[in-house]
Amino acid sequence: MVNSELYENVILELRRGVIVLAVLRQLDQEQYGYSLLKLLSDRGLPIDQGTLYPLLRRLEAQGLLVSNWRLEEARPRRYYMISSEGRQLLPRLKQEWDNIVAVMEKLMK
Amino acid sequence: MNLIDIYITEVGKYLPQKSRTDIQEEIHSALQDMLEDRSQQTGRPVDEDLTVEVLMEYGSPEKVAASYLPERYLVGPRLFPAFLKTAQIVLPIIGILALIGLGFSLGKANLSFQNGFEAVLQAIAELFQSTIVALGAMVLIFAILERVLPNLKEKSLTWDPRTLAKISPPDRVKLTEPIAAIVFNFAAIVIFNFYPQVIGASFVAGKGWTFNQLLSETFFSYLPVLNLLWVANIVLNSFLLRRGQWQTWTRWFSLGLHALEVGVAAAMLRGPSLVALTVQDLTEAGPFSPEAARLLVEMAQLAVTLALITAIVAGIVEIAQIALQLMRSKKPAILVQTK
Repeated sequence: MVNSELYENVILELRRGVIVLAVLRQLDQEQYGYSLLKLLSDRGLPIDQGTLYPLLRRLEAQGLLVSNWRLEEARPRRYYMISSEGRQLLPRLKQEWDNIVAVMEKLMK
Repeated sequence: MNLIDIYITEVGKYLPQKSRTDIQEEIHSALQDMLEDRSQQTGRPVDEDLTVEVLMEYGSPEKVAASYLPERYLVGPRLFPAFLKTAQIVLPIIGILALIGLGFSLGKANLSFQNGFEAVLQAIAELFQSTIVALGAMVLIFAILERVLPNLKEKSLTWDPRTLAKISPPDRVKLTEPIAAIVFNFAAIVIFNFYPQVIGASFVAGKGWTFNQLLSETFFSYLPVLNLLWVANIVLNSFLLRRGQWQTWTRWFSLGLHALEVGVAAAMLRGPSLVALTVQDLTEAGPFSPEAARLLVEMAQLAVTLALITAIVAGIVEIAQIALQLMRSKKPAILVQTK
């Protein structure tokens, strides 16, 4: 019987590649870290904070996101948004995702 | 200072200075959002209990900091097999040398039980020290190689399978061989230049231990030439590691080095004794009988002579093999058979 830890690890591996696409797509509108976390969770893709925040920084370092600190409700928040480079990449990623879904649907029949 | 500030400070300890403040501010902001959201959802006040709950969910400071850092290692997966192989060669040699040293210490006449016990303890302590030093030196060398060798990712981008066919098997450099050569030559430089005192044997003499150096001043007069050879060997093997294949000039260079090594070993063999141990020293150093002392000195001289003869024979064999490869490389090789 497959143990739950192994199951969790496989699920994590499956989600890892998808998260980048999901994050880039959601950041068409600017979001701060926690609001993005909630948004993804509400839309059925819960992500661990320990995965999301470092990912946002990495995507920003790669030039796919831009960010700025803003003081809101007496609290500084970092807002992220997709960059122009990210916008150029997104349709290609979406196309690739559609291909993967189509192929996987055939393979899983 | 509240619990969140303490937590943030703790996370910062594991982060690089460059990005520390920025990451800390972001985590602080995220934790505040989490607390507020959790408080609204559950109707609980933002107190210590809720803060503890949220921090536990967020993760330990080490784990959170690690998620922001790239994987870092001293010896990576590419060189780790070579590291293990080198350790499998080096560590048994250290063990054998320690056993020989212990044999010398215990091999004398009229050894009391207490002195014997002390000799065993001393040998264990020296073995432990030598192992730590050797492992430390190996990690240092491999960590340098890890950073000096061409980046594997960059290499894989330009890699062409056809290059495998272009490099005929005798020209291909096996990863472990130059690495082992670099490690041993580096170890020789360090030991003979900075820790010559480890080459010898300790004996209980009267009330305390005395150390008798194995190698004589004659040996150390060859050190400048030996250092040159060891450095040249390191340079050659580093180059071979980077290129991944033998070329005509590297073979000629290697042949020249081996010829010099054979020449130096022959000069050492014909010259004055390289062994510093004398019958007089040993009889004065401990309760050795003159016969036992003479036997020990003869054994040491025989061991050095055998080591030199082995070096000369191995060098000549290497020279012959390299000369053969040089002659073969002059002939046009058929790499791929065509119709």
